[in-house]
Amino acid sequence: MKYIFKFPDIGEGLDEGTIIEWQVQKGQQIKLGETLVTMETDKVVADIPSSKDGIITATYGKVGETIHVGDALVEIEIEGIEGEAAVEEANKVEAVEEEGAGVVGTLEIAGNSAVLSASTEGMSSDNTETTKSKKILATPVARAMAKDMGVDINQVKGSGPAGRVMKADIQNFSQTKTSTSYSSSTTSAASINEMPVEVEPMSQIRKTIAKNMIQSKHNAAHMSLFEEVEISELDRIRKKFKQDFADKGSKLTYLAFVIKATALSLKKFKSLNSEMDMDNGNMLYKKYYNIGIAVDTDKGLMVPVIRNADQLSIFEISEKITEFSEKARAGQITMDDMKDGTFTITSYGSIGGLYAVPVINYPQAGILGVGRISKQPIVKNDELAVGLTMPLSLSVDHRIADGGETARFLNQIMAYLAEPVSLVMG
Amino acid sequence: MYDLVIIGSGPAGYVAAIRAGQMGLKTAIIEKSVIGGMCLNWGCIPSKAIMESAKLFNRIGKDSSRFGIDGIDKKALSFNWSKAIKRSDGIVKKLTTGVSFLLKKNGIEIIEGEAKILSSNSITVNNRTIDAKNIMIATGSKSPEISNKIDGLVIEAKEAFKDRDLPNNIVVVGETPVAIELAQAFSMMGRKVSILVPTENLMPFADIYIVNQILAKLKKDRIKIYFNQNLESTDGVYADGKLNIGESEIPCDIIFNAKRRKAIVPESDIDIKLDNNGYIAVDEDCQTNVEKIFAVGDVNGLSYYAHIGSAQGMHVVNFIQGIKQKLDLKKYPLNMYTVPEAAQIGLTEQEIKDQGYDYKISEFPMSANGKALTEGTMEGFVRILSENKYGEVLGVQIMAPNATDMIAEAAAYMELEATVYDIAQTVHAHPTISEVFMEAGFEAVDKAIHK
Repeated sequence: MKYIFKFPDIGEGLDEGTIIEWQVQKGQQIKLGETLVTMETDKVVADIPSSKDGIITATYGKVGETIHVGDALVEIEIEGIEGEAAVEEANKVEAVEEEGAGVVGTLEIAGNSAVLSASTEGMSSDNTETTKSKKILATPVARAMAKDMGVDINQVKGSGPAGRVMKADIQNFSQTKTSTSYSSSTTSAASINEMPVEVEPMSQIRKTIAKNMIQSKHNAAHMSLFEEVEISELDRIRKKFKQDFADKGSKLTYLAFVIKATALSLKKFKSLNSEMDMDNGNMLYKKYYNIGIAVDTDKGLMVPVIRNADQLSIFEISEKITEFSEKARAGQITMDDMKDGTFTITSYGSIGGLYAVPVINYPQAGILGVGRISKQPIVKNDELAVGLTMPLSLSVDHRIADGGETARFLNQIMAYLAEPVSLVMG
Repeated sequence: MYDLVIIGSGPAGYVAAIRAGQMGLKTAIIEKSVIGGMCLNWGCIPSKAIMESAKLFNRIGKDSSRFGIDGIDKKALSFNWSKAIKRSDGIVKKLTTGVSFLLKKNGIEIIEGEAKILSSNSITVNNRTIDAKNIMIATGSKSPEISNKIDGLVIEAKEAFKDRDLPNNIVVVGETPVAIELAQAFSMMGRKVSILVPTENLMPFADIYIVNQILAKLKKDRIKIYFNQNLESTDGVYADGKLNIGESEIPCDIIFNAKRRKAIVPESDIDIKLDNNGYIAVDEDCQTNVEKIFAVGDVNGLSYYAHIGSAQGMHVVNFIQGIKQKLDLKKYPLNMYTVPEAAQIGLTEQEIKDQGYDYKISEFPMSANGKALTEGTMEGFVRILSENKYGEVLGVQIMAPNATDMIAEAAAYMELEATVYDIAQTVHAHPTISEVFMEAGFEAVDKAIHK
């Protein structure tokens, strides 16, 4: 029988992805868990594994094409399953083992409409239509008008029968677009004609970053606090253990200490590790401490999460940081790597900059920015001395954290960093 | 408590009832006379049956010899109205029985009697009070009566297709397609026919291009037309087989009333708003000023067409079920059962001009079509009005023996918002009259092949 494999819901509210590379071809044998296609979703580049053994009989979509969750990706001829068994097989919602799947957790495989019976009887033909037609329904006039007005017809919600995009939908879409778009849209359109501008479609990741930033700025009441902490002692310890770590294949960074200090501080200031549920009027205080670290990649910012950082040793944290930087470089950070963060740290200082006003990774309550560490004149025992200072910029959601608590939280982090031995003192 | 109670079982009401039954709504339909309403019993169906008899009669007399049929004595031919009516009655019976069966099959309760609306969710009929979540008024329309004291002189619309003597001088009153249809049918039966038109032109809704063609045809058929003449009463204007209208003396033995129809508004204890012309005022979903009371079909005055009434009825049932759609009257075909038939859809040329479109007209005549020539029916055309930017089809007008069937193709193009390029690319089989449509499409895109 033929099995239609649909782009699965891989969670995190993703509803579409772009085909980066096909890993299989028509006629090729495929085994369960083997990669079918590499897709860029709005957060990661993910390899989509096959949920069946069989032979690929068709692939849907070209490289660069956007595929929505539930759209057909490939058709697989599965041997040895016929008739009722085939239907049963197709009705299953399968959980693919994380190891086997590689990147994604539970794959919801399409339901009863996903089967093409090998014989002509049984399954009705309209199933094939819905699974195979990826071209959006639109009337000829609507298409001509969309093309003429430069409207992406895929973004227009159709009001006609079966969601067909009608002329009026294009007109409405184009009107709302012009009325709500930024005033700069007309000037930028004009400048495209007059000045050298390179136009490049936004990547999914860029779209997501933009969406998240706006969501954060729109919803959270940002408040920022700046401090600097003297870390000579921390520097001494780091230097002392650096080689040790290196021998074990890891790299000891200041960041590892900051993560540990932050996680432990969060345990003492629960509102900084919380989330506001406005709809239900609840505060959600999380009893787990997962620290996201902002990583700069070619494709844009990604935030992999170090889980239960409060329970990890500095070494374990360092290992995680090393793992994530390698994955980031290879473009292999996965959805799983990035979910469930409760607080975020951005260490822009390793590139440059003393202070910043970091944007909260909404709906988290706060984000800590770590600036460039430098030698500074400090006053020690009433005498001028050379100190090593680390600038800290803390942004909090002022709806959740009040000024006093924010300052006390930052003081706690600074205390840990100034006297690193306290990290293990409890 | 019913989910839906429908007043009137014409094409608007009964179609809605069946649809509601199919969707599982507890539905009742109230009918004071007979199931099927005007259309099935006294209008659309009998008139088509009689028209077919008239066409056949006319054709045998006119065409048989030319088509190679000898032995027909033209002088011996006569039209037997009674037999034609008998055939028509049989068809009507078959159809109304079918409708009753479908209503029952879909679990619709049929209540005989005259309804009165008590409140926004109750109706009384035969002293029985019925509660309804939704009420649909589908009571239809009738032509304003012509006051008359002379027995058998004036025939109201409902009585038109009854057994009677059909005298020689016939007057039809009305500006409607029905008036023209009756006049042409009687004319084909060999009667002398005049039309009194209350307005300044025929069929005010039709494109003037079609109206002018019809006028020419009526002139050819020797049917006399008197414009701006309304007949409200025969008193003082009728005497000795003559009707004195204005300065004209019109020979007249019988008068058929086919005036523009007015709403039949059911009795109501609550205030259901009417528009300036006496029709029940409705919004775009056919809802009246009272929430959950709807008015569909002729009674709301949006159209006098059965199929549009049906579409409105189904729309309301969908609306009740929360299915949102758009009723666009401009996408419904308007049929005129004239001879030849005429049909139009979409905008008229005047409307296109008024809306400021950059448009073009592409016409292809029936006379250049092979199949039409073989059938000996060369009158008519297909006329496509399209805008120039995208080639969108804005309107289509057809005159042809089967124009009322051919317009269905245009209706599909309109519904799908097709362009003239789509028409030109749609291959039409040969030899058919429908090829005329494709040729008009070619004409719109570039040039017709056979012109």
